[in-house]
Amino acid sequence: MPDVVEYAIRGVPMGCVFALVAIGIVLTYKTSGVLNLAFGAQAYVSAALYYTLRDPDRFGWPMVPAVVVSVLIAAPALGWFLDRALYRHLRTAPPVAKLVVSLGLLVAIPQIVNLDFLLGSQAKLAPPGVASEDPIYVAGINTSANEIVTVVVAVLSVLGLGLLFRRTNLGLQMRAVVESPRMTQLAGVNADRVGSFAWMLSSLFAGLAGVLVAPLFAQLTDLDFFGLLIAALAAAVFARLVSIPMAFAGGIALGVGQALAAGVLPADNVLSTGFRSVLPFAVLFGLLLFWPGLRDHAGGGDPLAGVDPPPPSPGGFVRPRWMTVLNRSLAGAGLVVFVVATLAVFDEFWLRVITQGIILSLIFLSVTVVVGLAGQISLCQAAFAAVGAFATAQLVDKTGMSVLVAMVVGAAVAAALGALIALPALRLSGIYLALATLAFAVMFENVLVPLEAVSGPTRQLKVPRPLLAGIDFANNRAFLLLCTALLALVAGIVLLIRNGTTGRALTAMRSSELGVASLGLSTGRLKVIAFAVSAAIAGFGGGLMATFERQMGRQVYQANFTFFVGLVWVVLVITLGARTVPGAVTGGLSFVLFRQILEKVLGVSATLAGSVSFILFGLGALTYAKHPEGIVEAQTQRFVRLVSRRRAHPPDDAPTAVDPVAPAEARP
Amino acid sequence: MAKRWGIVVAVCALAAGACGNSTTDSSQANGDEPVGTLGTVSAEDLTKNVPVDAPGVTDTAIKVGGVASTTNVLELQVDQAFKGAQAYFDMVNSRGGIYGRQLELVAERDDQMVNNAAEVQGLISQDEVFAILPVATLLFGGAQTAADAGIPTFGWNINPEWGGPPNLFNEKGYICIDCATPAQPWLAQEIGATKVGLLSYAVDQSADCAEGVKKSFEKWPTAELAYSDAVPYGATDLSVQVSKMREAGVDFVTTCMDANGSVTLAKELKAQQLDIPQYMQNAYDQRLLDEFGDVLEGGYVLTIPASLEVPDPPEGLRNFKEWIAKVPGAEANELSLAGWLNADLFYRGLVGAGPEFSQAKVIAAINQMEDWNADGIVPHVNWTFEHDELRPESCGVISQVQDGAFVPIFAEPGKPFTCTSNTADELVTEHRG
Repeated sequence: MPDVVEYAIRGVPMGCVFALVAIGIVLTYKTSGVLNLAFGAQAYVSAALYYTLRDPDRFGWPMVPAVVVSVLIAAPALGWFLDRALYRHLRTAPPVAKLVVSLGLLVAIPQIVNLDFLLGSQAKLAPPGVASEDPIYVAGINTSANEIVTVVVAVLSVLGLGLLFRRTNLGLQMRAVVESPRMTQLAGVNADRVGSFAWMLSSLFAGLAGVLVAPLFAQLTDLDFFGLLIAALAAAVFARLVSIPMAFAGGIALGVGQALAAGVLPADNVLSTGFRSVLPFAVLFGLLLFWPGLRDHAGGGDPLAGVDPPPPSPGGFVRPRWMTVLNRSLAGAGLVVFVVATLAVFDEFWLRVITQGIILSLIFLSVTVVVGLAGQISLCQAAFAAVGAFATAQLVDKTGMSVLVAMVVGAAVAAALGALIALPALRLSGIYLALATLAFAVMFENVLVPLEAVSGPTRQLKVPRPLLAGIDFANNRAFLLLCTALLALVAGIVLLIRNGTTGRALTAMRSSELGVASLGLSTGRLKVIAFAVSAAIAGFGGGLMATFERQMGRQVYQANFTFFVGLVWVVLVITLGARTVPGAVTGGLSFVLFRQILEKVLGVSATLAGSVSFILFGLGALTYAKHPEGIVEAQTQRFVRLVSRRRAHPPDDAPTAVDPVAPAEARP
Repeated sequence: MAKRWGIVVAVCALAAGACGNSTTDSSQANGDEPVGTLGTVSAEDLTKNVPVDAPGVTDTAIKVGGVASTTNVLELQVDQAFKGAQAYFDMVNSRGGIYGRQLELVAERDDQMVNNAAEVQGLISQDEVFAILPVATLLFGGAQTAADAGIPTFGWNINPEWGGPPNLFNEKGYICIDCATPAQPWLAQEIGATKVGLLSYAVDQSADCAEGVKKSFEKWPTAELAYSDAVPYGATDLSVQVSKMREAGVDFVTTCMDANGSVTLAKELKAQQLDIPQYMQNAYDQRLLDEFGDVLEGGYVLTIPASLEVPDPPEGLRNFKEWIAKVPGAEANELSLAGWLNADLFYRGLVGAGPEFSQAKVIAAINQMEDWNADGIVPHVNWTFEHDELRPESCGVISQVQDGAFVPIFAEPGKPFTCTSNTADELVTEHRG
């Protein structure tokens, strides 16, 4: 048998794994309209449960009952719960809102599963497969019963789901509910029941994929499932998120492509190695840019969507004068208290924690620009921050440049990269743009960060603290004050942008790209500006983080800038309020302070404190559909209304917030 | 709008003109000046209790604290390092402690992998410990903080950050990941291998390790490096790589991967019936053998502190096994042994510093040790240069997986270590205790 054919055949089982996950993603999108980034997390739930049930030290169940409980009972139950508790209320929400909610679940679900009183925080050695893993030889090539089961299940899934959607009323109803739940109900179909079934089916698929895939890993961790999901997304996008046979074909093609690349390209070659590492993500990125039909597909909509009017824009909320005065007074008093506490109260530990929170607040302002102002979902903000940090460290190390100047240059480098990434944004929007930025973030982490030219040598590069006008910021208290001043400066710049011509154009674009274009403004130029400014802010914050840590390299990257951490950042800022500066600042401080307060002040164990933080951050995103303006802004508006009512001066000019998911008859 | 931007740019330019880089090295500002030659401490001195003004020291106790990645995504029981340190302190305290004081492990922080620098800072400024030990973390972002503070710090050496600063110590001395070392060429020679395969991950530390392996076989060409590849991190399918190794006639495969990678490779070798031994960098873990012993059978591991299974174990190892068994929840493994060794080095530093000890004196005392071996567990570390310089010879214990257990195969009773010169062109080897 020629080598090439052998390599291709060897890629088929892995291709079926990709296909299985891709089919699950497509199934979920097709039946619920949700690009479910939490699919891997759902798969992990079943895999972890299956492991626990089979673990001889815990339950020691045989294979069949363990599969029945973890795949046939637990997985559909999780799907039913997600539908009843969340997605049922989001059917008419925009796709981006559903994506944000799935991102929240992606963060929260594994943390919940890993709680000690559930399945345990420690990673688990992989469970045995549902079938034997002993080698079987077919045409001289080894495989195993477990791999054959995976292939068979993938093939049967394509056939079974094809029949379901083409030959049964239920399949038709599931698709109809996604298109227009109201229209479906008018046709006498119980949309809620059909929607629940769709979620139970897709969740069952996630469970099946989880249990079949688990034995591939020597250890069972949620991150592995997420990595697999990202790779499988390429196959799902190849299927335009709707065609199950094409998802299957895409998965197989990806598996075979990887095997061929490993077999045919020269081994032990930097370019070859880099290419193979990046293949699934490059394919995803390329498909998003050039695969015809993706943009057209996003244009579909519910013919009865007008029944649910959109919520009022934040611009419509007129802040009363007293609120502005109160805000400024509180901010001033808070600043005085903060400076006094910095100089006299905080010990070195809390100084460090708060400084980190301030720097993250600065970085989070980049989310305010790109998501809050421009309405573009970017999942690669951590990569931009890392670019700024690496550039700062390399410049200081190689040229001896002043660190503050290096931070500004690093911000410029990040801005250039942001503008480059924005070019795809000219062709994409919504969930596809989010996916493109996610693919870039993963590529950055897997391909660029390991390069010495990017991240420096194995040992961290030293990055000194700044020396400004004779003040040595090696002192941690002085450095915290410097960071606070820089945060105020960048926040001021963001406010200048928001209130200026560019900001108004960006805000208008967020509401309607078509409307902006009809005014003669270039949406492409606006997107490039938004991404470039956002990346510059993130890059500047990254440089500040490098000088804060006094070093930069791959370890600092791992601790601060991984793409997964970047996802949590975006979820957190969107939850708290991506459209306002206080949302970003609250997010930055919460990210580091919440866990530390739980642990160091309230005495919660470190493991539980970390889990609870991520669970709350993740679950917070579930409020996004109801409060797209963010929790901070929503509570501010609520406070204003409350006070106004008590002063017997109803705010006639302030529109009342409308719950976009509440039934029409329940609205004021 | 343009005017506003102009103001912003001008402010930035002015700030840039006025700024430079701090050259402050706070490590020079902390602690006492290093002392000169330390006098010999008598047994009587070890019980002498004199007032000491140092963080974490009271009339009755010397307090230390450590940090571990207790919450981690890998199957690593790094918190066992605390148990190992506690076992050593229990042993010392049962003999009356030192300088009339008990050794106390007062803080066991969890850095959750990514909060290392903050937790190290917390040990210094909140727990106010005399020394940081053990550090058993997957990332050591707090190295700079500890180095700047000039606090004696002891840990598990898996990160390059352990090299350099004079107050950072570990359980095995300096390691150079990308340097030529003779262990693998020597092993290939001993088992009669002629063609070697090398698998690593396409990530930096793994790539550095692979570079070291290549240099090693270039310097000591006991076997031909017939196949080498770097796969994406976490790769779960190595079927093509194993197929190509078979084509290349590989009869010994060495890896720069984690335990997951070793298990994946071992499964594929078995599936393709390629019966060749695997040298595994990170697989010295009995629990791994309990789960995957059948596929890892015949593989080799190298341990630099003596492995727990060496015949006729040295005194230090016997003490370790005796005292670790008394600590609730403790297991005798690589991590608890690392914690024990950290505590041992710290104790010997205290002894060297004398009754009027300080942090700086402990650091200075250790840095004058030319032959630390923890009663036979460690292959003679010379701390006068082993912060950032490779020793002239490599020593370790090579074990083979046999019937689901690690069996030291080249150790001799009382001489567990196989030592080979790093500098000689020939492989000159001897067994040492």
